[in-house]
Amino acid sequence: MQQALTRKLESFEPLSDQARWALNGLTLKVRQVGARQDLIQEGDKPDNVLLILDGFACRYKVLPDGQRQIMALLVPGDFCDLNVFILDEMDHNIGTISACKVVDVPRKAIDEIAAHHSSIARAFWWCSLVDGAVLREWLVNMGGRAPGQRIAHLLCELLMRLEAVGRVTDNSYAFPLTQTDIAETMGLSDVHVNRTLRELRALGLIHLKSRVLTILDVERLKAFCSFAPNYLHLRNTRWGERRDLSWPGRAQEG
Amino acid sequence: MSEQGNVETLIVLQPIAVDTGSPDREGMLVMANGLLVAVLVRLDASEHARSGAWFIEAGLGRLAGRRAPVFDTLEDATRWVRQCLRG
Repeated sequence: MQQALTRKLESFEPLSDQARWALNGLTLKVRQVGARQDLIQEGDKPDNVLLILDGFACRYKVLPDGQRQIMALLVPGDFCDLNVFILDEMDHNIGTISACKVVDVPRKAIDEIAAHHSSIARAFWWCSLVDGAVLREWLVNMGGRAPGQRIAHLLCELLMRLEAVGRVTDNSYAFPLTQTDIAETMGLSDVHVNRTLRELRALGLIHLKSRVLTILDVERLKAFCSFAPNYLHLRNTRWGERRDLSWPGRAQEG
Repeated sequence: MSEQGNVETLIVLQPIAVDTGSPDREGMLVMANGLLVAVLVRLDASEHARSGAWFIEAGLGRLAGRRAPVFDTLEDATRWVRQCLRG
């Protein structure tokens, strides 16, 4: 379970045994949180960094008319804002979608581990940069893709992100989102989400049953929504050799 | 499209077939004082949990971009449209 963070960071760059050991030290106090619970609310003062070890959570805001907009999905290995403690108060809510295993990492522990392990410090930066890249891609998704492609893109993204932390088996992964959750994530109505999922099923692209999503033809689903995984910056999908040059001395530390 | 004085907005429904890319195709044009303000579509029985309910497929003018609930009856939908135009 604790490997989710290590696996995620290692999908960016290799970590030494010492670094792995240090990361395990971050995730000692795991707490279980039920589904549909707020982890932190808008206006709260963030003290700790939240880390999701298991389950799905999301960032969301509620508009004055009660409508909810989900701005990000958090899956195992994801921090809920690595440097959030620098800010005075939360500008959005973070809540669970399914039951989650969550770790509250004290800000001091984050500072210390980053100071002692430059590979981890870089991986933390990578996490923040990728969070920003995902948000940009979601803006493109919301503003530029039709409902079918929009939802297909989300399903492809989740496949890649969950695969990076070992949560995919035979192109299947746990999918606790309801149609309303998808609607609130994609800026669509429940009715449109229902129609779109039916369309994707009818095209033989996905199978969704008992909260498990199976992508029946990954390449066809990716082609359907023109999915390009570059924005996730995963090691197996990008320019490995080039970035080695940009970090001289990376081999020496742990 | 707001009410003027005590004059109630005149809402007229006109049946129309709608291409939604799904079996939901029975629709209604919703006209308020002669202007098209929304297109309602009836949810097909075999496709949706709330079959037979009415969904605002498209809203125009003050209804554009409004996320509306699904309505059990046309009367409920009309009431919602009226409220939106009034507010």
